[in-house]
Amino acid sequence: MKNYLKLVNFEFNRIAKLFAVLLGITFVMQMIGVIVKSRQYLNIINENVFEAMMSKAQFLEQVGQLSFIDIARSIWFIAPIAICAAGIGFYIFLIWYRDWIGKNTFAYRLLMLPTSRLNIFYAKITTILMMIIGLVAFQLFLIPIEMSVMKAMVPDEFRHDLTVNDLLASWPELSIIIGSSIGEFFLYYGSGFLVVSILFTSIILERSFGWKGIMAGVSYSVLAIAVWLLPLFLQEFVLHGFFYPIELLILEIIMGLIVLTASIWFSRFLLMKKITI
Amino acid sequence: MIEVIEVEKSYGRKKILKGISFTAKKGEITCLIGMNGVGKTTVLNAIMALTPINKGKILIDGSPLDKTALEKITFIPDTITMLPKMTIAEAMEFMNDFYTYWNQERANELLGFFRLNRKDRISSLSKGNAAKVNLLLGLALDVDYVLMDEPFSGIDMFSREEITNVFTSHLIENRAVIITTHEVGDIEHLIDKVVLLDDGLVTKEFSAEEARENEGKSVIDVMREVYQ
Repeated sequence: MKNYLKLVNFEFNRIAKLFAVLLGITFVMQMIGVIVKSRQYLNIINENVFEAMMSKAQFLEQVGQLSFIDIARSIWFIAPIAICAAGIGFYIFLIWYRDWIGKNTFAYRLLMLPTSRLNIFYAKITTILMMIIGLVAFQLFLIPIEMSVMKAMVPDEFRHDLTVNDLLASWPELSIIIGSSIGEFFLYYGSGFLVVSILFTSIILERSFGWKGIMAGVSYSVLAIAVWLLPLFLQEFVLHGFFYPIELLILEIIMGLIVLTASIWFSRFLLMKKITI
Repeated sequence: MIEVIEVEKSYGRKKILKGISFTAKKGEITCLIGMNGVGKTTVLNAIMALTPINKGKILIDGSPLDKTALEKITFIPDTITMLPKMTIAEAMEFMNDFYTYWNQERANELLGFFRLNRKDRISSLSKGNAAKVNLLLGLALDVDYVLMDEPFSGIDMFSREEITNVFTSHLIENRAVIITTHEVGDIEHLIDKVVLLDDGLVTKEFSAEEARENEGKSVIDVMREVYQ
């Protein structure tokens, strides 16, 4: 446990710069987005209400109030989320390959550490999870600040104020990232954790068997995902709605846990018996 | 004692090790010698469970390779095993954090012995100094077995001399050392046992001292006989 925590600390320190860059990109781009979108709206008010002498009521009827959802749906808001997602996706591979590829032979040291090699797997997956949760927490922290900036720029009567919950309710895509309830949060992040563990196992397969390992990794990923989603396929194509939604959810959770256990066990076996420097 | 018993290893269709066997005892320096690509590094990697073997057994003090057995060995590969951005001090701190058998006093002694600056970054080190850091990190562990892969590869004469001095120091005493090298001349007088590898097999295993005393032959003489 002590060595696992030390490894997590070590791995997290290694991503600290990338993590800070992603936080910085999110903060800067979204703040620019809030300011740009608010100013664009203020310009429209100026053109219509103050220059074209349109009444406020008429303006609001025709153009409508500015809501934070208008900002959240802009490229300024979505792009940094996409960049963070791509960064994490890239890092899922980099977190392993940087220790093997090129001049860096840190893999030697990692595999020789006097601790279970599975701790390396756990430490790397924990780091990815911490990175994701850190980015989501930062996003949640940022939204009220961005709302305050919008409030400070746009007068009351031209603004439709939302809470974070309102924002999630009116934009289902965002609720996948943040989760609108604790249950949803665990479901989405549990699924993400499972997918990362499957990818990690595939990467370790490749590190163990080279070119053959790529084929084995792809096959393992397809098989693991098929097993995980088996209840959904059965429900859709064979049983035609036989299960209640809650039963289906429980079955999916059970299958997910089976696949997760298999991935961890298989990774342990590979790290102990098959991995090659 | 490290026992390598009938070990076979293939990379794809190419069989690198065809059933090699040898032992390495505490207090002895065993030198694995062979041409390039004969599988010397593969043997060391296999002992450290860094590459799987196809057949055979590797025993450490009679036990198969497991976490406890591996904790008795320190491996010094021919490349640096720390992150390039780390300083020597940070690398030592890393070792101290993870290894129960890390001996800080010995590490400091080696730092002075090799005249290394703890503030230097790994990435800025010359090949010779990188080899010395590798030796420092490996030898500062209080373990019974030391594996060294080509410690003299590509480094200058003076660095080679400094590294050679390690072999005559108390830093190696009472440990079993397995070393692979091309530069036999540098350490010929220090080697206790020689294992000559060729075509995936042990072609000759002999005591360097006996060869010198009984046959009047140096290790290089025996090598010439076997390989030419």
